Amino acid sequence: MMALPLSPNAQAILLLTAPLMVGHAPLSPDLLTPGEYNCLARHLRELGRQPADLLSSDDGDLFRACQPVMDEGRLGRLVRRGFLLSQVVERWESRAIWVMSRADAEYPRRLKGRLREDAPPLLYGCGDIRLLTSGGLAVVGSRQTNHPVIEYTMAAGNLAARCGRTLVSGGAKGIDQAAMDGALAAGGNVVGVLADSLEKVALKRENRNSIVEEQLVLISPYDPCAGFTVGHAMQRNKVIYALADAALVVSSDVNKGGTWAGAVEQLDKLRLLPVYVRSTGESSKGLDALREKGALPWPNPQDAGEFEALFSPTMVNPPATQGSLSLFPEK
Amino acid sequence: MTYQSEKSLELLRIGSGSPGARFRDGQEEAIRHIVEGRGRLLVVQSTGWGKSFVYFIAARLLREEGNGPALLISPLLSLMRNQIAAAHRMGVRAATINSDNLDEWSDVEERFGKNEIDILLISPERLANERFRTQVLARIAGQISLLVIDEAHCISDWGHDFRPHYRLLERIVRSLPPNLRLLATTATANNRVLADLASVLGPRLEVSRGDLNRSSLSLQTISLPSQAERLAWLAEQLGTLQGHGIIYTLTVRDAEQVAGWLKSRGHVVEAYTGQTGPGREELEEALLHNRVKALVATTALGMGYDKPDLAFVVHYQSPGSVVAYYQQAGRAGRALNAAYGVLLSGEEETNITDWFIKSAFPSRREVAAVLEALEKEPDGLSVPEIMARVNVSKGRIEKTMALLSLESPAPMAKQGHKWQLTAAKLSEGFWERAERLTALRRTEQEQMQEYVRLPFGEHMGFLVRALDGDPSGVTPPPLAPLPTTVDEGVVREAVAYLCRDGLPFEPRKKWPDGGMPQYGVKGFIAQGHLAQPGRALSILGDAGWGGDVGRGRSLDLHFSHELVDACVKMMGEWNPQTYPTWVTCIPSLRHPDLVPDFARRLADALGLPFHVVLAKTNHRPEQKTMANSSQQARNIDGSLAFCAPRLPRRGPLFLVDDLVDSRWTFTVASWLLRSHGSGEVWPVALAQAGRE
Repeated sequence: MMALPLSPNAQAILLLTAPLMVGHAPLSPDLLTPGEYNCLARHLRELGRQPADLLSSDDGDLFRACQPVMDEGRLGRLVRRGFLLSQVVERWESRAIWVMSRADAEYPRRLKGRLREDAPPLLYGCGDIRLLTSGGLAVVGSRQTNHPVIEYTMAAGNLAARCGRTLVSGGAKGIDQAAMDGALAAGGNVVGVLADSLEKVALKRENRNSIVEEQLVLISPYDPCAGFTVGHAMQRNKVIYALADAALVVSSDVNKGGTWAGAVEQLDKLRLLPVYVRSTGESSKGLDALREKGALPWPNPQDAGEFEALFSPTMVNPPATQGSLSLFPEK
Repeated sequence: MTYQSEKSLELLRIGSGSPGARFRDGQEEAIRHIVEGRGRLLVVQSTGWGKSFVYFIAARLLREEGNGPALLISPLLSLMRNQIAAAHRMGVRAATINSDNLDEWSDVEERFGKNEIDILLISPERLANERFRTQVLARIAGQISLLVIDEAHCISDWGHDFRPHYRLLERIVRSLPPNLRLLATTATANNRVLADLASVLGPRLEVSRGDLNRSSLSLQTISLPSQAERLAWLAEQLGTLQGHGIIYTLTVRDAEQVAGWLKSRGHVVEAYTGQTGPGREELEEALLHNRVKALVATTALGMGYDKPDLAFVVHYQSPGSVVAYYQQAGRAGRALNAAYGVLLSGEEETNITDWFIKSAFPSRREVAAVLEALEKEPDGLSVPEIMARVNVSKGRIEKTMALLSLESPAPMAKQGHKWQLTAAKLSEGFWERAERLTALRRTEQEQMQEYVRLPFGEHMGFLVRALDGDPSGVTPPPLAPLPTTVDEGVVREAVAYLCRDGLPFEPRKKWPDGGMPQYGVKGFIAQGHLAQPGRALSILGDAGWGGDVGRGRSLDLHFSHELVDACVKMMGEWNPQTYPTWVTCIPSLRHPDLVPDFARRLADALGLPFHVVLAKTNHRPEQKTMANSSQQARNIDGSLAFCAPRLPRRGPLFLVDDLVDSRWTFTVASWLLRSHGSGEVWPVALAQAGRE
């Protein structure tokens, strides 16, 4: 577990974009959105500078040079939050939570390579970061679902673990939790990508024990104290797919909900990896609709050989629009 | 930001109240360095040099340019009060949030919110407080423009008074971005501490360092093993010393005892300790304006206390390290040509510093017990809940939690009011540091004993060398040595004084958390079933009667008639009302006759009847082997019973026991007696159990 002390670039990105939440203090109205930050980062790159340069004491010239893309006063107010930064970093640190920025060498390459500017500028986490580079099977589904589907999902997680593949999921109740439980129970490795409440979830006893055993890493693009929002949950789906080499959707609504949106985005647009849908048990309109969009039926693999075949199917559609993105992580 | 020299000087002159004041060596450079944002600065200058002018003037200048307020972290409350007044004179709006001014918190917060405060002063403990951080500081943390760390040597593991909460400060500093202004100050830092500070505060740290030699101080050491001899020396010499000063003791109890003795000899002195409460400010003022000859103080009278004409600092016992001694003695003679720094060295000081050294860190057993208790509770535990599960004292549990939670990463964290295990394990580095610090404390203790043995005239040179200063400018002491002998008659009177005192103790008013299930009681104890305030003759093993009690308990299995006489004398002076009409005692299965025999003899000497009415129903471990109040309460639950057919008398009574520790035994016995119809119950104990 690492990523602290923070690099100067990580400090700068935190100051510019992160809410730095402690208690219920009001958030700064000046925070840069991901889009605004990307714009500033590009501008700095063109100037031959980097975010950390904004923190060298009293560099008035650089602030003025950023005026065309970002209000000088707003930037000044953001980077002067240094003491607040030290407060939250200390809090994370004492709870074994790390943070890294897109500018850091440890930042998972597959996220940067696959998501480009959509890669979260900051990644918070608790647990062994090496698990983030291991790829594996993503399992997603809606929160509410029935018992047989939960068992099916646990079995899928279990199989991934027995085949030595990492399980990537969302850490929400229902499907996500079942997949992760199945994998952990079989001694497998798990990446949980959270949309909210990293601090609380990391301290939960069952998670804490798996983290200590280096089986589980919990990560989130959002502040460890952030609460649930629909927007975050949607954005988080991108990260789940980007960290995996194949995905299984076990349940989904049609035309609504985060699971649907995330799967459709993969099938129609990003095409980072093969997407499977559950093929046995109770039928589902959502899954049928995904099939129509090109999702593959889960072939219910029974052993490691069959399971491995899932990761290199013969019939994945070639990338349509984002030609420059590679299908599998570059080395 | 540009520095304004004239404005700065004007502030100095207003603040010092002297129109012709000029900056001291290094002062203006330091202010300029901070204001211009040239990087982190460490100022190593003796108290009285004027470090506060540096940060107050800097804070004021920063504010005038529209920057946010400054935050000052200092372990010293007395310093804060004095400084807030000084800041006020300069038009710097200073405020403090500490455990003594809870009622002002919301006002301070509101003023902060309105941007009406220029500098906020808080303690490192406050900074570590979860509630304070999440509910108060979080709202303003984003605007802080300057962080001032006072007593910065505490950051260093090699500092002479390592304070656990500075570990937190160290981590905060490490994650501060370089654009945040940071000033660290200390009066003393040897080379090792400086190197440590540089590694925490950054390689580009600028250091401003002054001279350590104090030519106005006449240092002297006098060995007087017994407390009575030292009391006699103080009684004889205090009147001959010019001016006003401080007498330092190692413990609160010593401060009170020494002050009591000196008052009884007609000296105008007062005790000043961490337990003095809200009267502390008044006492500081009294010394400042020479209304007392001396304050008899623990180190609660802190480093920041500034009385330039303080004429003497006498130590009743040797402190644990040369740096601590230098800082305390160095408070004398700042603005005088000559002043005394006299160290009286006594036999108990090694035991006391040993105790401080040993108790600085929790033991592996204590840590394992606490972690195991937390391991079993996925939802976490509060401190009282931990107390109910592990046989470790409350103070030790709190120390364990404080130290472990300051580790990075910490094996436990406080979520709301409960402690929970985190995803981190306690590193072996924790124990290595504990061992290293313990070894360092031993070396410091030895160095201090070396200092005690020095001949007159060599002390200042020794101190300056020990602190890595330049001893070449050290001059001979300006004053003649004080007498090193004491009058035997005064020593005898001091012995009598030490034996005279009884110690009052208050009754418990509430049953333990969870009540006493076997007795079926919980919550508050009914008014009519409470014990009255009690008295203990001594402290177990201490000077005075403590030694006799210890011998009676463990060697003779009999309490001497001198103890009976001493109790009679104490009870005569105490004279509780309504005065008891009979005597009973606490039973024991371990030594069935020891206490009843003593109580019967005491009753005879008082001319009161003695009756046995209480019995021990089953054998339990001694109360003093129970480490905290919850464990002691559980140990006593159901173990005492009322055994007489009826109460022999209804009037008030003395309830006698040999030791009082948690007070649960007295509480339960009083409740039994009163619920069987007795009058008021006045507890009497031969001794109070030891420290904590």
